[in-house]
Amino acid sequence: MKRMLIIGALASLLIGANAQAADKLKVVTSIQDFASLTKEVGGDRVDVTSIAKGYQDPHFVEPKPSYLLLLRDADLLEVVGLELEIGWLPPLLDQSRNNRIRPGQAGYLDLSNGVSILDKPSSNVNRSMGDVHPLGNPHYWLDPVNAVRIAIQIQQKLAQLRPADAPYFAQRLNDFKLRINEANKRWLATMAPYRGAKIVTYHNSWPNFAKYFGLDVVGYVEPKPGVPPSPSHTFDLIQMMKANKVKAILMEPYFDAKTPQSIAERTGSTLVVMYPSVGGAKSGTDDYISLFNLNLSNLVKALR
Amino acid sequence: MSDLVSFLAWPFLAGLILTGIHAYLGVHVVERGVIFVDLSLAQIAALGTTMAYLAGNDLHSTVTYFWSLGFTIVGAAIFAMTRVHRETRIPQEAIIGIVYAVSAAAAILAMSKAPEGTEHLKDMLVGNILTVSPKTVITTAVLYALVGLFHFIFRRRFLAISVGAHTNEAESIPNVKFWDFLFYTSFGFVVTSSVSIAGVLLVFSYLIVPSVAAMLFSHSIGKRLAIGWTMGGIVSAAGILASFRLDLPTGATIVCTFGVALVLLALVRIFVKGPGAAPA
Repeated sequence: MKRMLIIGALASLLIGANAQAADKLKVVTSIQDFASLTKEVGGDRVDVTSIAKGYQDPHFVEPKPSYLLLLRDADLLEVVGLELEIGWLPPLLDQSRNNRIRPGQAGYLDLSNGVSILDKPSSNVNRSMGDVHPLGNPHYWLDPVNAVRIAIQIQQKLAQLRPADAPYFAQRLNDFKLRINEANKRWLATMAPYRGAKIVTYHNSWPNFAKYFGLDVVGYVEPKPGVPPSPSHTFDLIQMMKANKVKAILMEPYFDAKTPQSIAERTGSTLVVMYPSVGGAKSGTDDYISLFNLNLSNLVKALR
Repeated sequence: MSDLVSFLAWPFLAGLILTGIHAYLGVHVVERGVIFVDLSLAQIAALGTTMAYLAGNDLHSTVTYFWSLGFTIVGAAIFAMTRVHRETRIPQEAIIGIVYAVSAAAAILAMSKAPEGTEHLKDMLVGNILTVSPKTVITTAVLYALVGLFHFIFRRRFLAISVGAHTNEAESIPNVKFWDFLFYTSFGFVVTSSVSIAGVLLVFSYLIVPSVAAMLFSHSIGKRLAIGWTMGGIVSAAGILASFRLDLPTGATIVCTFGVALVLLALVRIFVKGPGAAPA
């Protein structure tokens, strides 16, 4: 009798634990930065997984079976939008057969809607301009102000899907805001001496970042977005960088370093590997705030 | 679990369809010794798509599709005209390689002029079997059944040319170049559609590996087809299951499964010398 009671108690404990796990809101994000921000807001009431890892180029993701299972079970899908994921997400979403997270449904959150977007083409995009995203530059999360705007959208969405937990999410959002504001003061102070510094980036993926910290992007290693460096463009870039005394070339870890490295050597500048996403480096990029800590400390070394 | 089955079902059906047509075409290709002709034709088709895109057509438009088909037909004509040249002894594989390299380079040049959305272009040319849609599976099944029927009707002619390729017997067949042109056109048509579903590597494996594995065990075309189809079906199932179990990219997993299966069959051939084994 006693044993049965114990078994019964254990079973109810297990069931209880399961029920709680099942009750967690299942969130899938396209990039790890959103996963980090969702964790900040959602705490232990959400289960969040990112499809593209921080060390991968989010333009290109090789579909794997687990992504289908993730999407099938998701309550909420958070995307960058602006056609960043157009090459790989739509077929996965189709195959997942989860109607709750389709565009237009409550479980679909396009975070580009509530942030400031740069490089919106004023005229029609045409093919001669390179791989321009016709809706604007999708690398908007690399701006602390946009990060807060993203977190607010996530908080509103989570509260809509789980009204009972709304106060909890609001509390966590406030807590995150306090911490990022604190960090932000430090970042701005670190970067203050380098306002107006001229930099070159590999791909046009740092306009939000540069604008926020007052850096002046004077050129790109790619002649046009998505096109590998060509000899004549590289030659012109070297002349221009020498004339402008550019001190740093910013590049994501997944691009080929050969050309930018040789440009750096010829111009006396430094090639800085900048992590565009949470999880981009083996360590030191575990969440959004530490990502900026690491990037800024690497960048400052080069600009000094 | 039933959900998992429904995720597995369409890639598996796609794998069966690819096995059906490619294990058959593979017998021809291996007999003729034109192993890389599929890569070459797929590359020409890709060049056609790129040029259509450069000319301002939408990637998914009918016009673009006909550009790509037109380029494929030109490629088929080139290969039909350049059967082993007896005077110069230039092997056909050389021509195939040259066509591949030049069309790949030309596509790079074209894309450097029209780079917008190169990711769309890449996506269109290299399909992913994991996310194949039911609609694609069904239309492809119908198309390939028609191509299969065409080959079935003229099977004696096509087989005579392929089998006679090394002995020069083929040369005595009337209108051999015309039949070759039909062969390469239908082949190019199939390969182009397959690549957009499954990608170049996987299509190459479906074409060559079953046919090579079958040659380990039999001379007869009929038996080789049976062995090839069986192997293709089993490898598709095993590869897709492995890809789900280990969470690996599906296409590449199937290709590696083909490699493992071929090694296993070769070991079987060594230890259990089959009666129909090809002579050394």
